[in-house]
Order: sequence, then C-alpha cells, then structure tokens
Amino acid sequence: MSRAAVFRRFCSLATAGGLLLVALSASAQSAVERGRYLTAASGCAGCHTEDREDAVPFAGGRAIKSAFGTFYSPNITPDRETGIGNWSDTQFVAALHDGIRPDGASYFPAFPFPSYTGMTTDDALDIKAYLFSLPAVRQANRAHELPWYLRSRLAARAWKLLYFQAGRFAPDPSRDDSWNRGAYLVRHLGHCGQCHTPRSRFGALIADRELAGSPSGVKKDSVPNVTPHEADGIGTWSAPDLELFLEIGMLPDGDFAGAGMGQVIDENTSQLTGEDRSAIATYLRALPALPDKQP
Amino acid sequence: MRRTLLIASVALLLAAATAHAATPEDAIKYRKAVMSTMAGHINAITLIFTGRVEHEKFLLSHAEALAVGGEQMGVLFPAGSDVGRTEALPAIWQEPEKFAKAVEQSRLATAGLRDAIRTGDKAAIGKAMKPVADSCKGCHDRYRKEEQSM
Repeated sequence: MSRAAVFRRFCSLATAGGLLLVALSASAQSAVERGRYLTAASGCAGCHTEDREDAVPFAGGRAIKSAFGTFYSPNITPDRETGIGNWSDTQFVAALHDGIRPDGASYFPAFPFPSYTGMTTDDALDIKAYLFSLPAVRQANRAHELPWYLRSRLAARAWKLLYFQAGRFAPDPSRDDSWNRGAYLVRHLGHCGQCHTPRSRFGALIADRELAGSPSGVKKDSVPNVTPHEADGIGTWSAPDLELFLEIGMLPDGDFAGAGMGQVIDENTSQLTGEDRSAIATYLRALPALPDKQP
Repeated sequence: MRRTLLIASVALLLAAATAHAATPEDAIKYRKAVMSTMAGHINAITLIFTGRVEHEKFLLSHAEALAVGGEQMGVLFPAGSDVGRTEALPAIWQEPEKFAKAVEQSRLATAGLRDAIRTGDKAAIGKAMKPVADSCKGCHDRYRKEEQSM
C-alpha cells in the first residue's frame, strides 16, 4: 500500500471514528434532553427539593406530611455518598418500577412508585441520564418521623404485598393516541392521583374513585374532584379552559390555583408541550363523572 | 348650647376615628371584592388575548383596572383581618417581609401587563402575561388556604 493510500485509509477511519463519537454524544445529549422533559412531566423536583428559597433542586430534604407521619425526601443528585451517584441503571429502574431500594429494602408509598411503575424503562433511564448530568450536591438525607409501628421497613414491604401491583402502562387500543398519551401522563408520570384520588385508611388509592378528590392533601387541605362531574368536578370546563389552566394556572372564573397546584403548574404542566397538555385534557374529560362522596 | 356642641364634636371625632379602623369582617369583605374584580379582569384579558372573544377595544380598560387591583394589594391584608371567613393563611402576618415582596411583585406584574397592552405589541403582551400568572398563583400557593369543598 502506498503511503498516500495508507494516509487516505487513516483519514477515512478517523472520520468514521469522529462521526461515531459525535453520534454517541448526540444520543447521550438527547437522552439528557428527553430526561429533562420527563423529569418535569414526572414532577420529581416538587418533592425532592426543600421548601426554602435557596434550596438546591433535587437535593432532597422537603418535609412531606402525611396521615402516617412526616417523610423527608432524599437527595437524588449524583453525589456518590449522599445522593444516588453510585446507583446502576438496574437499581434506578427497580426503585421506580418496584419500589425497591438498592439495599433491597422497600420504599414507603410516599414515594409514588405505585404510579411510576407504569413508566417505560426507556423513559426511566432518560430521567436517570438527566439527573446524572446535574451537579452532585453533598446533602445528607434526613430520617423520616414515623410512629413506632412504621419504623421498620417491613411495614413498607407488607404494604406493597397487600396493595401494590407492578406493571408497565399498556395503551388501550380502543382509545386514540391523545387519550393514551394523557393516561400515561396523568396516571404514571404526573402521578395526579397521588393527591386527587382518595385513599383507604391504609393509604391505598381507591381505584373506582380515580381523581374524584381527596379530603387529605399534602397541605392538609381537601384536594378537588377533577372528574368531568358538572357540579362537583370540572364538567363545565372546556378543553381550552383546561389546557390554559395547565399552562398558566388560571381557573375558568379568572381565579388562580394555589395550595400546591401552583407549584405543579410551574414545575410540571407549564413545561409540557401544548400537545401533551391537550392529551391530559382529553384523558381527564373522558373520565367517569363522579360526584363528591355524600357525607 | 355649649354642651350640645361638645357632644356633637366628640361624636364627630369618634366617627372619624372609627372610619379609619374597619371591622375585620369588612376588611375581609373588601379584600374579597378586590380579588374577585381582579379575577374578572384577568379572565376577560385572557379571553380577548387568546382570541376566544373579539372585544379587543376593551383590552386596555381591563388591564388598567387589573393594575389598580395590583396597587391596592398592599392595603388588603391589615393586621387583625385573619379571623372568621377568610382563606388567608397566618403566614401572611408571620413573614411580613416575604409577603411584602410578593405584594410588590403583584403591583409590578399588573403594571407591566398594562404597559405592554398600551404598546399594542402582541409578543410583549404575551410575555407580560406570565409574571401576572406567576404572581397570582405564587401567592395563592403559599398564602391561601384552598376552600373546603368536601
């Protein structure tokens, strides 16, 4: 082979290698980009960021008051000691899909894995890629404040045996794409039911009252019925009303949402594409119209 | 005669003094009246701006009225108006400096929207809507109890 031929081959190999590197980093880049969107759609920052002005997003420490005690959200930045920097892909997916910690113990359902279990593995891994692209923050986790009978993780395990079923979202072929996308966003990523669906005395969501409102929200207020019931729910809202609400927080009477929903709009629904907000509206408007429970 | 004059002036003074201190019930009533007015105007502005109704000639009047509400915000939460039928949370009076900042934000945002509408520039109006929405829901998120509907 002539020197010129060797040189040409070298050049073409180098070009191919360079292209491969560019392609790899582009796909990593897009995983991070997709992950950023999915992390917003999944409302991760809302719980995993402390409630003070100078709090670092995702470093944990927010108090989540529930009927069962106060939970403190953990650090999910990629710090190796205090965050999730040492987690493998499998461990991250197991946390979201099965409510299992890397040490094998079970999460309490204050972490909405019963919703996230429906997330595709690809989406879960994109979220991990995004979280791992953030700066690592050293902030130790704070222990939950729970009554004695819940201090053992066995309680979390028992709860899962009784009330939790793992499984990915399966689209309903009898519905259109918008409904299916909306179902995925509402039931799984957005985990809307964690506040808007009432719970049994053991904290399990009551499936046949999906999104029909709950007397006990995280801020101790009642959470509204968002089924299309005329008097008690959002039956009088048009699709544009609902989409505008999810975008800027304005209710059809010009009032603005508060009590926790303002934050959900800021960090989650306002960040979505118009198409995804429209899918959420499609899904909500197709729910069975349920009245508030009679006292 | 002198006695009558004295009684009359004391009565006048008392009336003047009480006129300054509204009862908590009336202070709350006024607060709710101004807030509902603002809700009405921002609702109207949104309907016009998004083209769902055509009444563009009223857009500026709505925005001016909304900005008046923004200016009033500072007087709507006097000390003592945290009793009875109100959704105002104690945090308003517990963290007065932080709340004052939020009040100023509401004044600036509504004035900004009014000024943008005065220019008639669609892009500027769209941009000026966001701080208003952020200010409304930011305060409601932190300082308002959601009504007990269930």
